[in-house]
Amino acid sequence: MYSRYGSADPVPHRMNLLRRAAKSARYMALPALGAAIAAIVSSMSRVAGPLVIREGVDKGIIPQDTSVITNVALIFGGILVAQYVSTRITLYMVAWLGERFMMDLRNQVYSHVLRMDMAFFGRTKTGVLVSRLTADIESLQVFATEGVISVVGSTLMVTGVSVALFVIDPFLAMIVMLLMPILVAISIHFGRRSGQAYRQVRSQVGRVLGALQENISGVREVQANAQELRQEERFGAIDQTYYQKGMAAAKTVVRYFPQVDTLRVVGLVLVLFIGGNRVLDGEMSLGSMIAFLLYLNWFFEPIVQLANIYNLLQGALAALYKLYGLMDEEPAIQEALETTPLAPEVDGRIRVDMLTFGYSPDEPIITDLDLSIPSGQRVAVVGATGSGKSTLVRLIARFYDPQTGGVSLDGIDLRKLSFADLRRAVALVPQEGFLFEDSLRFNLSFGRGEMTDDEVWEACRAMGIAEWVESLPEGLDTPMRERGNRLSSGERQLVALARALAVDPAIVILDEATSNLDPGTESQIEDALESLLAGRTSIVVAHRLRTARRADRVLVMEGGRVVEDGTYDDLAGSDGHFAELIRTWESPEQRV
Amino acid sequence: MGYRDHWSDMWTGLRLIVSGVKRYPRMTVIAVMGALTWMVVTIISPYLQKLVVDDAVEGNQPNLLLPLVLLVLLVGLIRASSIAWRRWNAFKLSYRFEVHLRGRIFSAIQRLGFDYHDHASAGELMARSSTDVTQVRLIFMMLPITVANLITMAMVGVMAFVLDPVLGMVAAITLPAMIVFAALYSRQAIGISFQVQQALAGMSRLTQEGISGIAVTKAFGREAREARKAQGVATDIFDKSMSLARFRSVYLPWLELLPTLTTLGALWLGGLRVASGEMTIGDLVAFTQYLVILYFPLRMTGWFFAELPRASAAAARIVQLLQTPPSVTSPDAPRPLGPGGGEIRFDRVSFSYNGVEVLSDLDLSIPAGSSVALFGATGCGKTTLAQLIPRFYDPQAGSISVDGTDVRELHLTDLRREVAVAFEEPFLFSATIAENIGFGTPHAERSEIVGAARIADADEFIRKLPEGYDTVVGERGITLSGGQRQRVALARAIVGNPRILILDDATSAVDAITEAHIHAELVEMMRGRTTIVIAHRTSTLLLADRIILLEDGRVLAFGEHQELWDNVPRYRQLLAEASPAR
Repeated sequence: MYSRYGSADPVPHRMNLLRRAAKSARYMALPALGAAIAAIVSSMSRVAGPLVIREGVDKGIIPQDTSVITNVALIFGGILVAQYVSTRITLYMVAWLGERFMMDLRNQVYSHVLRMDMAFFGRTKTGVLVSRLTADIESLQVFATEGVISVVGSTLMVTGVSVALFVIDPFLAMIVMLLMPILVAISIHFGRRSGQAYRQVRSQVGRVLGALQENISGVREVQANAQELRQEERFGAIDQTYYQKGMAAAKTVVRYFPQVDTLRVVGLVLVLFIGGNRVLDGEMSLGSMIAFLLYLNWFFEPIVQLANIYNLLQGALAALYKLYGLMDEEPAIQEALETTPLAPEVDGRIRVDMLTFGYSPDEPIITDLDLSIPSGQRVAVVGATGSGKSTLVRLIARFYDPQTGGVSLDGIDLRKLSFADLRRAVALVPQEGFLFEDSLRFNLSFGRGEMTDDEVWEACRAMGIAEWVESLPEGLDTPMRERGNRLSSGERQLVALARALAVDPAIVILDEATSNLDPGTESQIEDALESLLAGRTSIVVAHRLRTARRADRVLVMEGGRVVEDGTYDDLAGSDGHFAELIRTWESPEQRV
Repeated sequence: MGYRDHWSDMWTGLRLIVSGVKRYPRMTVIAVMGALTWMVVTIISPYLQKLVVDDAVEGNQPNLLLPLVLLVLLVGLIRASSIAWRRWNAFKLSYRFEVHLRGRIFSAIQRLGFDYHDHASAGELMARSSTDVTQVRLIFMMLPITVANLITMAMVGVMAFVLDPVLGMVAAITLPAMIVFAALYSRQAIGISFQVQQALAGMSRLTQEGISGIAVTKAFGREAREARKAQGVATDIFDKSMSLARFRSVYLPWLELLPTLTTLGALWLGGLRVASGEMTIGDLVAFTQYLVILYFPLRMTGWFFAELPRASAAAARIVQLLQTPPSVTSPDAPRPLGPGGGEIRFDRVSFSYNGVEVLSDLDLSIPAGSSVALFGATGCGKTTLAQLIPRFYDPQAGSISVDGTDVRELHLTDLRREVAVAFEEPFLFSATIAENIGFGTPHAERSEIVGAARIADADEFIRKLPEGYDTVVGERGITLSGGQRQRVALARAIVGNPRILILDDATSAVDAITEAHIHAELVEMMRGRTTIVIAHRTSTLLLADRIILLEDGRVLAFGEHQELWDNVPRYRQLLAEASPAR
């Protein structure tokens, strides 16, 4: 499914992509028309320049008529004003169109990504999504602004100059035009070659940066293992490949421009020689020849620009392809068209009915699971890694939909609930207390959206963290750094618990943190947990014996099934999986 | 940053750029020569055109036409080849310098110690080796052409004077004005683009964070709120981009218009002068051609001078990194590590970190082949103590010796080969599992790697991976769980058969059952080698024969578990707090 818009295959149906892009930008048709008119005026005013100069030479300078010279200069000045105004309007309008398109695209893509289901985030790397929203859209941006200006401007210029050449002297124009196919051919060839070469440079730059990133992140491992020299050698080799790719790309550029230059000089020679002879024979005016000489520069430049744009266009199409591919993926978890409302007072009864689920359907993680949790019960789920305990609780929060069977809340199938009702009733606290890079207030009130300071403080007090928050330098405004770096993992957990409490859910689902907390915060978390779970239905994936001991009921999972189900004491007393688990957990105390 | 600092930074940066020229003197000269040749022929060409117009066509000398035209062709061909010559050398020069510079930066980063990396931001270091280096490269690539451009402009001025003094005056005024205008334009545009770049970086941060926190967003159904955040960022990008567009639309046409305006002036003034016979029509053609020819060199030169301060600042940042001395280095004349079983001795060791004393006057002797657990409250210095042995840090006072040799007298490679560490949050490289396990011992046989993985209880899960030991993990491969990563790191630490093994809470993310398996195997492994275990969990404590209880940077007690349990109340208290069952 994913390879559908991988980068391997070339972009098919480029017209379809452009059509779809144009269709989505239809609401900007009027400004686009304005931009087009300005672009035409701007090109035409440029083409007019040498024509005016010709008039000046032939009618003013040669006959030595100073009034004509002054008039021509005035006309030329008028044309320059027109050129300035129209160029300015074109630049601004085209930028506006492009930027506007990009802004809408950013919003659309990001909203779409947020709508996707958790399975999508499981199979799609963060880096890929980030590059869709940054590098891919940015590569479109360059094309949508500068690229479009160049394409439109260059095309108009080539057309305008060709027409002007024919108007001045059809014979000489014909001869100069003969160079055109050659120029176009070498330009297309260059566009393709350099495009490939620079794509390789870019991907090698990616490798260089990746290697750097990795060695910076892993610098302690490198030093601890005394591998500095070997890593330097490896990096040197990657960077050397970058050098080679860079030079290969340079070669395409270094070859192309002299070829264009040679053609230009051939054109010049043709105009000088043939034109010169024609002037001498009286078949052409001197002004015409001068105009021809001036046009020559403008004749080559646009095509060279188009050759450069060719690569931008290719890149933009590839980016569009990937972006539309992403937009076409539908989230697997969707709100039902007709939802069943949940009562305002949620009871918190959970039923799991013959549930089978696997992240890939042919590898079930959970098989035919039946489970009924009455309102207000505290359930601990234990089991080895891979037994399916985390998956089970995520299914109850509808992060995934099961392949068969179902989960119901207060007798209503989760798939029939509105998202708003589901999130109001069920709060899930993920294993690692993820905090957003925003203020503490933002993070605490995240689940509710808007909360007054009083409400936030109330939640803090209920969690027993009010004192700690007060001790922070900026209180509720304290910024939480990347991944909550400034806080210890225990403090992060506390904030995550308070965040869940603020929602006042009927059901709390908690994936207990596996990594160890400091003895100090540990007891604080215990207390916070008690206040959060009191009076609610709760399902806790337990990694600590103590958590299991406090539950009303313990579920032992193995191979996607519940193998033991009972109170702590019952299970501890029998000679089953749980009793064995307690023994491994307790081993240190056994020796005490 | 003060004004003077700014200038000294500029100089430091410029010196680095100049050092590049000195590094590749031949290539630089060749590139400049190429650029000069190109420029000279570029200037000759309009003059030849003038001759064609004036002498052959206007002067009615048809026999001059062919030779002159052939001359134009010849000059054109020289121009084409010199352009290739100049560009090729400029590319080569700049790419070489870039790779050379990045190699040095890489090497510096690898050698700077733990203390540096504890405070350095990875993003900053990345910027040094990517954007900063690229900036230096670009300016370096432009160096030959800019030198040639400046010479050319002077020559064009002279030529214009030769053609016609009045028009020469026009050129003498307008050319420098154009450079200044182009430089001012570039400078301003670069400043605004920088703001656009920052706005774009906001999108990257937002996406990165939004996706990292997607589980929380989904758990609370706050997708709409996150989408609104994106709207803010996208609008910011739009606004910044539009202010760049506004700036460009106002001034960019001027850049193009200025030469044309000069053409207009030349045409009008020159036209009048030609009409009055003071100047030939060919001169006028040549003059207008010059203005067209100079359009790009002028813009490039303007860009160069606008970009130069930024490139110098980038170069100055690079120099600063290159000149930071690593805090821990091998001695000039290292001693070999004598035979021994890994006896460790701390002699009156004091160590402060960020001005806080972590270890004070600590004495400790760990006999060869024994296993000890470091235990104590958070911040008591357990990790620090262990990290002083492989010299991740050096103590401010006192000394540490391994098998009788002060660690500071050993070569770092020798020391660290014999002292292996498994970190709590290990890092796996984007390589196969086998390569990751053999990271410190590149010549390890596959059987040794598998053996180490077995001890770390990793063999079983590794075999279940799609390509077993050849499965690529890390950034570009599959993602392992925290516990699996720790087990791979454990295997990595033991595969080299080190004298001393340090386990820094290396099984914290492993579930209880697996941990029990690992412990059973590890006990075997620890036999006959000195092992230091840093313990948070009580179960980990029991891996070791003896326990070192640290408190306030000193050894409070050192002995067997039972001994400490019976005699040290603080030990009982800490154990009670950490115990998971209570």
